[in-house]
Amino acid sequence: MRHSHIVCGLTLMLCSGVQAHEIGTTRVSVSFQEGRTYDVEIVTDATALAEKLEVSPGSGFDEKFRQRVKIAFDGADVRPQISYSVEPPIDALSAAAATIHLTGQIPEKAQHFTWTFGWTFATYALTAGGATQWLEGGETSTPLALASLAPQPNRMSTAWRYLRLGFTHIVPYGLDHMLFVLGIYLLSRRARSVLLQVSAFTVAHSITLGLSMYGLISVPPRIVEPMIAISIAYVAIENIFSSELRSWRIALVFAFGLLHGMGFAGALKELGLPRSQFVTALLTFNVGVEAGQLAVIATAFLLVGWHCADRNWYRSRVVVPASMVIACTAVYWTIERLSL
Amino acid sequence: MHRLLRSSMLIRMGLLVTAPLLAHDMWIEPMTFSPQTGEIVGVKLRVGQDLLGDPLPRTTSLINQFIVEDSEGRKPLVGRDGSDPAGFLRVAAPGLLVIGYNSNPSSVELTPEKFNQYVKEEGLDTIAALRASRNETGSKAREIFSRCAKSLVLSGPASETAGDHRLGFTLELVAERNPYTLRAGQDLPVRLTYENRPLAGALVVAMNRLNPSEKVTARTDKAGRVRLRLRPGGMWLIKAVHMIPAPAGANAEWASYWASLTFEQSRN
Repeated sequence: MRHSHIVCGLTLMLCSGVQAHEIGTTRVSVSFQEGRTYDVEIVTDATALAEKLEVSPGSGFDEKFRQRVKIAFDGADVRPQISYSVEPPIDALSAAAATIHLTGQIPEKAQHFTWTFGWTFATYALTAGGATQWLEGGETSTPLALASLAPQPNRMSTAWRYLRLGFTHIVPYGLDHMLFVLGIYLLSRRARSVLLQVSAFTVAHSITLGLSMYGLISVPPRIVEPMIAISIAYVAIENIFSSELRSWRIALVFAFGLLHGMGFAGALKELGLPRSQFVTALLTFNVGVEAGQLAVIATAFLLVGWHCADRNWYRSRVVVPASMVIACTAVYWTIERLSL
Repeated sequence: MHRLLRSSMLIRMGLLVTAPLLAHDMWIEPMTFSPQTGEIVGVKLRVGQDLLGDPLPRTTSLINQFIVEDSEGRKPLVGRDGSDPAGFLRVAAPGLLVIGYNSNPSSVELTPEKFNQYVKEEGLDTIAALRASRNETGSKAREIFSRCAKSLVLSGPASETAGDHRLGFTLELVAERNPYTLRAGQDLPVRLTYENRPLAGALVVAMNRLNPSEKVTARTDKAGRVRLRLRPGGMWLIKAVHMIPAPAGANAEWASYWASLTFEQSRN
């Protein structure tokens, strides 16, 4: 690997007539993650570095190493975290290599990255985003544009990504939300019942999802998650005893929707939201969640509702047994989530 | 003394950061200077300053000659392109081995300040005078440079008769006494040749791995000779630089040759 790098580099230099010293064994590569963090990896001869560090002023690897390394964003120096490891030589034909990682946060709105490395006397390659600069020890790189190295994902791809994340958060990963929606569906064979409950649920969970993501409300998962399980149990148990849509049922579904919204927010926080496209991601995630719920209802309708909703055994053989299974599962979850 | 040493070290380190583009020494550093007969020795090439150096991997396109000469004759050092150590040799018989690395020219372009400073540091007074007379002191300089590095490795007991000898490099340092027979208080006579003729008035600098900032320096006499009083022990690097106006068609104003000679004296 190192071998081919050097050969390629040499060929390049000879062809382009770049003026430089001999090429050493040091190489540096820079990567940027999602426009937030940087990671500079330096691979260099361990013995040569140790000899230079030994006669350097200061104490400890970090303090000494920092003195001849400069990372700047738009001309302002940053102070990276330093970690290093040494790999012993793999055979008699090779030398021990030290790998040093310099990592940290990219400052807000930074546009350009520059790099200076004074720990080598030879020419070395700086690789970033597939492009290579040949630098002398101590020479400052030409500024690298972050926009081209860590491209912001475009709005359409973000929207599509979070739409899918929202959908898959219900189907297939959100069994608890699926059971809740089924519980809503099973109450009554009337379309109006499903429509009103789903609307109440949607409005409610959209409110708490948004408020939670903006940090305006915060309820810990150890409270939200058991409450979600209780809400499923309640809806299913009510189905066993009633098939009428009463106004307080809608109010309760709305209240449960507020809980589920906080649950969605917990999941979305774990997935992470791009700072630059926060609103897009939030809205499309919510739309994805809706699509997931509608998919559950549509499937239930196609499997049982369409054929047997008007049969007189529909309630006794479908609604009640299914609601009992849902209720048992939810009670089990409630106990499980409370004990965690 | 200790404080002086420390401060000189600080200055040296400071120089490295502020003036990194100056030309650097290049020397040969075998994995051992006292191998057993039959031993295979890795030979590193290093580039740097004050004996702090980076390894140079073997670069086939840069090698003009990379050889070892012993009592049996001259052989190339084997190695894989891109590898460090750059070459390997097998010690066939006891005696002194002369390792040589002669590179093809590389080109470098320096700012006027950097070039002037480097010319001054390397004692290239005639070049400084030539640039001044041509009113070029303020202009950037393009230079082609070639390496002419040698190293002396001893297997078995040292002998006065089997010493260093000429390999025929453009610029070459030749130890006129076997440094491994040198005793404390004795001078090492060294001769500098350019195109096989003695080079007079050139600055020769010697430094030791144990204290690289303490330099032993001398200018060559008419016969191209210097006598260096070298403290026994540790690895020594003796170096000299010669510069001439570049030949026509070189796409550079100057051509330089970097001679070096390394050996490591045992402490007894």
